[in-house]
Amino acid sequence: MAEAAPRLPDCPRTRLLVALILAFAFASVRQITSLPLLAAFALAALVASGQPLAVLARLRAPAMLALAIALALALFSGSDTLWQAGPLHLRSDGVAAGALVALRLLAIVTLTLVLLGSLPPHKLAEALRSLGLPAILFDLVMLTLRYIDEMRARLARAEAARRLRGGGAGWRALPERAAVFATALIHGQHRADRVWAAMRLRHYGAARPATPPFGLHDLFWIGAALALAAALVWLDRAT
Amino acid sequence: MHLPDGLVPVGMAAAGYAGSGALLALSMNRIARLPDPQAAMPRAAMMTAVFFAASAIVVPVPPTTVHLMLSGVMGVLLGWFAVPAILVGLFLQAVLFGHGGLTTIGLNGLIIAVPALMAFMVYRASAGRFPRLAAGVAGSGGVILSLAIFAAFVLLGLPAQMDASAERAALVVFVLAHMPLVVAEGVIVIVLLQILSRVEPGLLPRG
Repeated sequence: MAEAAPRLPDCPRTRLLVALILAFAFASVRQITSLPLLAAFALAALVASGQPLAVLARLRAPAMLALAIALALALFSGSDTLWQAGPLHLRSDGVAAGALVALRLLAIVTLTLVLLGSLPPHKLAEALRSLGLPAILFDLVMLTLRYIDEMRARLARAEAARRLRGGGAGWRALPERAAVFATALIHGQHRADRVWAAMRLRHYGAARPATPPFGLHDLFWIGAALALAAALVWLDRAT
Repeated sequence: MHLPDGLVPVGMAAAGYAGSGALLALSMNRIARLPDPQAAMPRAAMMTAVFFAASAIVVPVPPTTVHLMLSGVMGVLLGWFAVPAILVGLFLQAVLFGHGGLTTIGLNGLIIAVPALMAFMVYRASAGRFPRLAAGVAGSGGVILSLAIFAAFVLLGLPAQMDASAERAALVVFVLAHMPLVVAEGVIVIVLLQILSRVEPGLLPRG
């Protein structure tokens, strides 16, 4: 994972709080006149990430979704026709609504990927734990992250083996696929039993590190996020 | 079947967080009553990882391809642990892949976790007498209930000026497009639970 750029908060807990504050502020934007501000925020986040091209590459799927939603709203929402081609009507209200939803979506996803997507997995889990969520959630996140890649590889190998043995495709292959999932679940269960035994031997759950209080650096970032969020919402409502 | 960020009003997204938070609190309360809640956690994590990986697999079911949800079988195998497992999965999807949404984790949690719990309760109540029917209801019913909740959230959240007939048509198309998924998940869950009941019955809930 890449090192955090110096223009972003260091503490994972602070990053998560800043991401949530700004994401909800972006989601509350209602006026199309606020869209340039949203775009500016997203661009600033991209620059602050230090890896704008890498983040943009991960925005491909969300961008396709944003485009689909924008088109659907432009064609089916509103009453005043801007442009017409046969049965297709591009409506002005719909274009505005579509642009609003699309830009909100892209701005929030950009923010999420920049602030949280660049964190190492264990830092993500630490961020959740330090916000006071139950310890069992933290443990669930840690272990899930630990085994996701292993399970993906296991399922990919099992699927390849199925195809090499002449396994079919389509509807007829569903029972075979179910057998592949069942095998992965059974292996997972046996692995979980061994993991649990090892955790107990290592005194799992005996003591948990205390959550440090927020430092000045963290308070600055959270304060700045709250101020930006308040300014955005105020400007949006004022227009 | 995820709601993306920015689609629904922010009040609705916040209400989703409250709803999922309440469901999580209820599930944690039930988990705390287990004889050894910590012992069940590695299994829940392992299964979350399996489901996370499996849901990324594209399954061709002509005329379309589907991403399996597996919410029904998650509910059957994890019970109340399905709620934190699903919320963890949604959080990781949003953060690692930009899929789903950060502000809509709450709503997406309700879309998937409520059917998972329904599947758990239906299976536990009826699997003793009608195992295949219970498995089919868990699998297909889970998807149908998710579709219904998703459609309700979309109808509530879309702009008011959207053409009502177009909205209805879009929802009909959306539901029809998911019929292959409804059938595929039903078949997969029936076969999967049959295999587990023969090979590893300890994984199945006791009634």
